[in-house]
Parts: sequence; C-alpha cells; structure tokens
Amino acid sequence: MSLDLVAAGTVAAMMAAATLRAAAPIIFASLGGLISELAGCINVALEGVMLVAAFAGVITSAYSALWFPDAPLWLHPWLGCAAGLLAGTALAGLLAVFHLELGADLIVAGIGLNILAQGLTVLLMAHLTGDKGSTASLTSFALPSLRWAGLGDVPVLGVLLNGDGDAGHNVLVYGAMAATGWVAWALRHTVLGLRLRAAGENAEAALAAGLPVKRLRYAGLLLSGLLASGGGVFLGMGYLTLFQADMAAGRGYLALAAVFLGGRRPLGTVAAALVFGGATVMAARLGLLAVPSEVVFMIPPLVTIAALVLVKQHQRLAARRRAAAGRAALISP
Amino acid sequence: MMPSREGARIALAVAAALALGFAVMACVSDQPWAAFRALLTGPLPSIDHTADGRVVVHRLVRFGAWLQDATTLTLVGLAIAIPFRARQFSLGADGQLFMGALAAAAVSLALGDVPAALPLAFLAAAAAAATWGLLPGLLKTRFEANEIVTTLMLNVVAVQIYRLVVGRVLNDPTAGFITTPPLPDAATLAPLIARTTVTAMVLVAPVAVAAALFLLRRTTLGYEIDLAGANPWFAARAGVPVARATMVAFALGGAFAGLAGFHVSNALLKRLPVDLTPGIGLEGIVVALLARGRVGALPLAALGYAYLRVGAQAMERATDVPREVVLVIQALIILFVVSDRLAPLALGLLRRVRASMGRRTA
Amino acid sequence: MTPAIAPPLAIALEDVEKRYPNGTLANSGVSFTVAAGEIHALVGENGAGKSTVMKMLYGLERPTAGILRLHGRRVDFHHPGDAIAAGVGLVAQHLNLVPSLTVAENVVLGHEPRRPGGRLDRTAAAVRVRELVEQSGLAVDPAATVASLPVGVRQRVEILKVLHRGARILLLDEPTAVLTPPETATLFATLRQLADAGRTILVITHKLDEVRALADGVTVLCQGRVTGSARMAALDEGALSRLMVGGDVPAPPVRRATRTHAPPRVVARDLGYVDDDGAVRLRDVGLDVAPGEILGIAGVEGNGQDVLARLLSGAAVPSAGEARLDGRVFTGLSPRAVRAQGVAVVTEDRLHDGAAPTLSIVDNLLATRYTRPPLSRRGLIDRGAARRWAQAVIDGFGVRAAGPHQPMGALSGGNMQKLILAREIADAPAFLIASQPTRGVDIAAASALHARLAALRDQGAAILLISADLDELLALSDRIAVLYRGRIVARFAAGAVDARTLGLHMTGLGPTVDGGDHDAVA
Repeated sequence: MSLDLVAAGTVAAMMAAATLRAAAPIIFASLGGLISELAGCINVALEGVMLVAAFAGVITSAYSALWFPDAPLWLHPWLGCAAGLLAGTALAGLLAVFHLELGADLIVAGIGLNILAQGLTVLLMAHLTGDKGSTASLTSFALPSLRWAGLGDVPVLGVLLNGDGDAGHNVLVYGAMAATGWVAWALRHTVLGLRLRAAGENAEAALAAGLPVKRLRYAGLLLSGLLASGGGVFLGMGYLTLFQADMAAGRGYLALAAVFLGGRRPLGTVAAALVFGGATVMAARLGLLAVPSEVVFMIPPLVTIAALVLVKQHQRLAARRRAAAGRAALISP
Repeated sequence: MMPSREGARIALAVAAALALGFAVMACVSDQPWAAFRALLTGPLPSIDHTADGRVVVHRLVRFGAWLQDATTLTLVGLAIAIPFRARQFSLGADGQLFMGALAAAAVSLALGDVPAALPLAFLAAAAAAATWGLLPGLLKTRFEANEIVTTLMLNVVAVQIYRLVVGRVLNDPTAGFITTPPLPDAATLAPLIARTTVTAMVLVAPVAVAAALFLLRRTTLGYEIDLAGANPWFAARAGVPVARATMVAFALGGAFAGLAGFHVSNALLKRLPVDLTPGIGLEGIVVALLARGRVGALPLAALGYAYLRVGAQAMERATDVPREVVLVIQALIILFVVSDRLAPLALGLLRRVRASMGRRTA
Repeated sequence: MTPAIAPPLAIALEDVEKRYPNGTLANSGVSFTVAAGEIHALVGENGAGKSTVMKMLYGLERPTAGILRLHGRRVDFHHPGDAIAAGVGLVAQHLNLVPSLTVAENVVLGHEPRRPGGRLDRTAAAVRVRELVEQSGLAVDPAATVASLPVGVRQRVEILKVLHRGARILLLDEPTAVLTPPETATLFATLRQLADAGRTILVITHKLDEVRALADGVTVLCQGRVTGSARMAALDEGALSRLMVGGDVPAPPVRRATRTHAPPRVVARDLGYVDDDGAVRLRDVGLDVAPGEILGIAGVEGNGQDVLARLLSGAAVPSAGEARLDGRVFTGLSPRAVRAQGVAVVTEDRLHDGAAPTLSIVDNLLATRYTRPPLSRRGLIDRGAARRWAQAVIDGFGVRAAGPHQPMGALSGGNMQKLILAREIADAPAFLIASQPTRGVDIAAASALHARLAALRDQGAAILLISADLDELLALSDRIAVLYRGRIVARFAAGAVDARTLGLHMTGLGPTVDGGDHDAVA
C-alpha cells in the first residue's frame, strides 16, 4: 500500500469518526422524533429535552462527586447519565400532559417547552454557579469511552474505530448505533411498534380496535424524550464535559428535519442525521481555512434546505419516470 | 373584538404564569418580592411632586421602552399572524427582521443625507424582508418543504448574512466596535417624546394592523389567503390560486417583520451593531398567541407582553434575578394560553374543592 | 308464551338519551330490543340519531340517561375496549383500517398473538386470519397491504377483525354504501350465515330493499326518537316506506321523453390518465354530452370516475386526449380557467374539497364568484352584496341555517350539499360535473337536489352525473356509461337498462359493448 493511500484513508477515517461523533446527538434526537412522529405526535420539544438532559446530567455528575466523595469515581458520570435521561424524559412527559390532557397545540406547546428549558437551565446555572454562560467552574464528568485494544498501530482502522487521539469513542456513540438498531427493529417487529404506528396513522382505527390511543401517544412521546435525552447527555458528558447555555444549538430542530428528510423511516432518518453531522464537521474543517466563519455557519442550514429540495426533486423525477412508463403503456396497450 | 370570555381566559393564563414565575424567583433569589415588584411596575413612569409643588416625571425612558417594544412586537406579531391565516406556521420573523434592518441601513448609508432616504429605507426594509419571507413560501409551494424547518434554517442564514455584511462591508473602522457608521440624520426618525426612543413608528404599528385587517377582510387577496388556509383542497377545486395566496401570505408577513427591522435600525439604534441579538422574531409567536390569531387584538397583546419584557429588564438591573426568568414566564404563558382544557379543568377543581368545603361546614 | 321459549334478548335499550355537551339532543327515549341470532335493521334519515345509537353500543359515546342491556346484563361502556370485551364488534361506515399495515396485522390489531419479548407473532396472525376466512367465507389474502385493496375487500377485513375478537353482536353502519350489487349480495349471504350461527347483527341502512332482503326486524328512528319498530314478516314494502318517511316515497323528477338532437356541447376524446406511480387510471374515454342532457356515469368506486371528474374540472392534466366545450378545449387548464369557460363541479367528498367547514356560509358561497362583479370590484369584496346573496340562496334553496354567517360545518349534510349546488349553478354553467351529489343526504334534500339538477338540464346545460346510487342514475340520466378499470365498458340509453345489468357491467361481468364509439346507443 502506498503512503498516499494510507494518508488519504486516514483523513477519510478521521472525517468519518468525527462525523459519527458530531452526528450521535442528532441521531438520538431524530430517532426520538421519529417514534413520536409515527405515533402521531410531532415532538418539537426535542431541543428543550436535549438541553434539560445535558444540564441535569452535568450538574448531577458534578454534585454527585461533592455529595458522595467516597464513592468510586466511575459512579458519578453514570448517576449524571441517569439523572439526565430522567429529566429529559420528564420534559417530554410534560409535553404529553399539555397536549393530551390539556388540549394544547403540539407545535406551540413544544416551542413553549423549548423556551422553558432555555430559561430554566440558564436560571438554575446562574443560581448554582453564578455564571450565565457555562458550568466551567464545576468539575463534571464524562461518560467513559470504549477503546479497541491493539488497534493503535493499525493505520486506517485504528483512527476510524478509536478516533483521532486513539482514545476510543464515547460509550454513547455506540449507544446511538444500538438505539438505531433497536428502534428499527422494535417499530417493525414488536407489538408496541405495530400499535404505535397504527395509533399514528389512523387513530380512529386504533381506537375502534380497542387500543388505548392516548396511552400509546404517551408512550411515543416519553420514548422520544428518553432517546433525545441520550443525545443531550452525550452533549454535556461526552462531546464536551460541561454545560453551556443553549448547548443544543438547534440540533433538536435539525433532528426533526432529519425525520422528514429520511421519509419517516428509521434508516433514512439516521442517514439524514449523519448528513447533518457531516455538515458540522465540514464547517469546522472549512473554518480552519480562510473562509469567513459567517459563511461556515450558513452551511448546515443551507444543507438542510438543499436536502429537503433535492429529496422532493428526486421523488418528483422518479414519479415522472414512472408516469412516462405508464404513458407509454397508455399509448400502446 | 375579542369575546370577553376569551379575554378572561387569557388574563387567567397570564396571571397563573406570573404566579409560577414568582415561585421560580423565590427559589433562585434572596429578594423575590423586590424582584417581583420591579417586574410588575418597572415600565411605569413615576410622578413626583417637588417641594415647590411642581410635577416631575421620572423614568420616562422605561415608559418609552415599553411603547417602542410594543411597536416592534406588534409588527413581528403581524409577521406570524398573517401566514397563520393561510395555516402556515412561519417562525421566520427573526430572519426577516434582520434582513429588513440590514436593507434599511444599507439604503440609508448609500443615499446619505437626502430627504428621500427615509421613505426609501422604509420601502427597502419592507421589500427585502418580504423577499426573504417569500423564500419559505416558495419552498413550501414548490417543494412541499416544511415551513417550520425552513424558516428556522433561514433565520440562521439571515443572521449570518447580517453579520457578514455589517462586519465586512458596512463596517465603520473608527467605531471601536464592529458596527455600521451612524445612519444619516435625514434617514432616521426623531423621538416624539423627549428622553425616549418613541418615534413616529409607534403610530405606524396601528396603521399597519388596520391595513392588514382591511386586506384580510375586504380584499379578494385576503379572501384567498383565508380560503387557502381553511381548506386548501377545496380552494384549489374552486379555482383559487392556493400557491399564490400562500406565498403572498408569507411575503406580507415578511414585509411587516421588515418594518420591525426598519424600526430597530432607523428609529431605535440609528446604526447597526454586529451583535444585534436574535430572538425578537420568536416573541412574535407569543404576541400572536396572546391575540389568539386575531389581527385586531395584536396591539393589545403586544402592549401587555412588552410591559412584561421591560419590567424584566428593570428587575435584572435592580435585583439579583437574571432576566431569563422572563423566558420561563413567557414559556408558561404560551403553555397556559394554548391549553384549551386548562381553565375548565381548574374551574371544575375549584368548584369541587368549594363543594367539599361547603359539605364540611354544613 | 312461556319464558323458556322466548328467545333471549341480545340487545335492549330502555329510554336511552344522548345529549352532547353543546346541547344537541341526538337521542331521546330510545327503546327497542333485538333477539339473539336476529338481523335487525335500524333505519331513518340522516341525522335521525342512528349512528349515535351504534356509538353508544360500542362505547364511543356514553348515554346521558337510560339503560343499555346486552344479553340481559346492564352495561356501561367507557371505551370501545369495554364493548369489545363484552362481545360487541363495530364495522363503521368509514372503514377503520390502517392502510400501510397488512390484512393480518389489521385483523389482529389490539389482540395480537405474541412471542416472548413483546414480539409480534406474524405466522400465528396469518394462520388465525386463514382460519377466520375459512369459517366465514370472506375471501381475503392475509399478507396483502390494506392500501392495495378495493373497498369491498377492506370491508371484509373489517368484519374479520370483529370476528377475530369473538364478537357475538355485530354492529354495521351503512355497510353497503360502498359496495356493488354483487358485493352486497355476498355480504348479505355472509351476514345471514353469521346470524344462523347465533350471532346478533344490527345494521344501519337507508335503503328499503335492503331492509326487505336482509332483516328480521326493523326499528325506525326520526329526529332522535323511535317512531316505529316491527317484525319484517308483518310489513309490506309500502308500509315500511310509510313508516320510514311518514308518507310515500317522493317520486323522482320526470325524465324528459324527447332527446335533443342538437350537436353535443361537451366532447371528450381518448382521455387517458397515468398517476404518479405509473398506474393507468383512465384509458380511451370518449364522451358526448348534448345540451339539456344528463349523462350518467356508473362504476364501483375507484374505477376511474374520480379521475374523470378531476380531468374535466382542471384538477388534473390528462396524460392523453382532450375535451372540448362548445368547440374549445378545456382540459389541461387550471381550475380557474376551466371554470371561466363555463364548467362547474360538485366534488365527490364535500367535506374534503367541496367546502371549508370552518368558514361561514357566505365565505363558502363566495369561493367561485369572488373575483367578479357584483360580489367584488377592483380586488375589493362587497361584503354587503355577498351577505344579501347568501341570504337569498338560503331562502331560495330552503336551507336550514341560523343565518349567512353560520359556519358551514354546523350544517347537516343535506343543507351543506344544497349550498354547494347553489354555488356551482349560480352562474348558469354550460357544463356541470356532479359527483355523488346526494351521498349521505336525507330523502327530502335528495329530491330537492334532483329537482335542481333537472331544472339546470332544462335550461340547456350539459350534465355529467357520477353516482354510486344506481337508483339516482336510472332516475335522472338520459344515457348511462359504465366505467370499469378506467375504461368505458358499456353505454345504455335510459330505460334500456336496469340496476342488475348495470351491476354486472360495473364488476366486469357484462360483455363489453363500447367498441370505441362515442354514441353507441341512440
């Protein structure tokens, strides 16, 4: 193998590993968005769920170390993780209560909860740390990374599987992959998956079949909250090791876009999430060159819009091809 | 006009949100009462009598801030409410406002100190923002792209374009911070009330609302927007140009957000800093919600909500409570106002409690 | 009669009342009984409260007063799940299936066979459906996706679903509304078989001949109250119809004896349409409609009638062929341009694309006329003129409404349909396409609508009448063409054909008599 090939492969592997890392939170959130969407409830609050989960995770891991100084070190991040998942799921539960019990419009309530999450996290952060920007003054913990032993010297594979610094990928990057597999499988092969889809596609039919549609929608929104919380926890305890104001930075909305872009199918959704992750990595790369940062920041939103347009164009061309074939049949029976 | 029951329901929702907001303040503050008082009385001017019997008005600045904020909020409220008549959930007022402000400033600076600068900047703001507002309309009608996603994405792009232009094209190298040069006097509006930033734009807002009302109720264009929103399939079969009506609704909403941008650039700041804070456009959602989508009720909703916002600034300055508490109150208002079943539920609960108490005393 | 011989009552309603929270009284003092193993028909006009009775028996609504008994036991259902557990099954009017799932998945939904780990046991589901198919004689492929099935087959899936849950009492809400005559015959045979096996069946229907053919007993509802209940054996058809409408059935408008020999106003040639999936939905359709003539289109839903209506009204562009009105091509244009040429259309589904239920009557009437005087000038709508016109329409068409500003959605189907027809004929169209103009409309409103169509015809308009109601087609049309799988397979002159023959052609069982000619039968 020539050196050039290895170098190119290493760069590609580096980009792939970075993309995975950047995409992991979006993958989590988009899987959550997918489940609730299929259950008939669009979850606009993914953004807020991620924020709350990241905040609760970081704060809990930090305070866990203060409150239980004698506990083993590995415990703190996991306590934080559990708290983050719980808090994010609770926010999604709040959305469910407002929509299903109190009749609130799902989209508006979702936006409301995002604002609530934004306000509460900053308020509590300022109260706890005296800083409105980040929790840098606290010592919080990251979840462990999984490193494949013995790959340190293997050229391309080592970078791909263990990341740029050979530290391995965070356990939640693997978590995102596992979640992808689980969601794809569960939606298709479990009774719950069947019922969720039925309740989402034709609520009246599900109701007439005796299904507890409301409870199914609760399940959809809570599951969606749990998954998106995974993304939030990764942001604060893997991607970075602290909480910042507005840390989700629009990833929740991107995740929602990924659901639509992926045609409301699990693998399509995750593919779209990977594209968004790739765009972030690309933006960072271009930022190293002399491209103005403003232009770099425009890339992810423009990619999203372009992707929405291209997918539609693609569907339209495919339809036109089918129609043309049909027309041929019409003329010569 | 708004039916009084609906008005009462909204007042109840706002009161409940304030109460919960106060609970949050009590948790994070050492001086919750002072903070709450500052929040609720902040925008009011105080009237004093001096020793020699003259009347002195203090804190006019905040009173002015209230009126000018209500002006901005009315305009961004229109930017949300009009697309919503076509059942389009536009969240794009923010980006449209930035584009409007940028266009107004650019035209003002290009024309310099000539009398035509003011009206031309005004029109440029409306036109630029209407064009920017048209984009999600085009994406929706031509490519069926979800408008929530596209408007949010276009907001990001607009803010970056704004920063690029202000930072690299219109930059004033002598300013010491990144900003445009001051706009020429002929292009800016003078204050109507001394010591405030209240300008003629405070009158433009109600005129804009009246114009929007006339357009929606009396013109064929407004009728098309309503019909396309109420049932697009029916509208299409009846021969209504649904795509055009949808795009017009988006563009019109954009034009009003653009006027809000003009208000920011040529009336309030009179120069544009690079770090103009995004987010005011999203406040339009709250205003439109408080008005329950009724265009005629927008100014009232804007006045009420602006009062709260200005109060929050006063509170942050006077106490240890960060202004983010207003985000919490805002979120609670949104949630309570859209929860249609909340008020009946609460009233029913109240009645049951009262009944059980009555039984106990009997 | 000794108690031992009296058949146990499967269903008994005692003074049942249903008042909705908005004050509407849907049922009041409703009492009737159905014996086990009986097929009982529940008849009455639209809005008479039949569906509400069904919903209460199925736990979708709760009665506000009165008692429901099933098999002698008092029941109080909060949720369809309660009703299902009590052995009640509902086949709703709008079929309640999940289109993207398979037949087997739909049938077992809610009572799924499971494997460990909460997994769905697809094999067991398919086996179960095959068993049910064998028992009931309802032929369906368990692996087919519901979206790909015709309506008649979907209804079988619906019945299988109910049987899967072991229902002893079957409720069917207008089950024949979407079926062809042969499908209806099959359904009736199945229902009889199920009743003979001991199941109790309650059927809602509009049609007297169906009551006669199917039911053992009948209960008539009118304005939420029972106006009559009888054993079929004790009734003749006249007595039944008097029971139902409180008088004899109004005669349909008289068909004109002479046909005009004027050249056709509407000429369509070789119309074809291919949808986005490449499926041919319409092929080689040629039509002539003369002034003062009603051309009826018969066909089972989904055989191209909807596509034909869309092509002729500008809602879709033909893939082949064209149509002319008074010599000018009007296909392939926008709906607005088509209307400008004098075409009007009553769409098939009024709530979907025939009206805006949330808007007022005025705004609904304006939809096709708002661009022109007298209702608007230079882009400004004359609200006063619009309101006066709406009031005139309400009065002129006998619409029961609180006023011109009442929301359209608050009206009954018949009143809504009257307003829609009024709107479409307001500008005296040269060509009217009327799809299912009286679907779900009570008898009185239907005959009023028929009279309006006849009057328009007499003014010299060409009318294309698309209807699933063969009686309507036979009563109004001057000629009838049958669509089957997107082609015209037969044409008849009125009076030269009966419902049975039409039914055969509609299901592809008749010999093709079209042969590509456009005026085969004079």
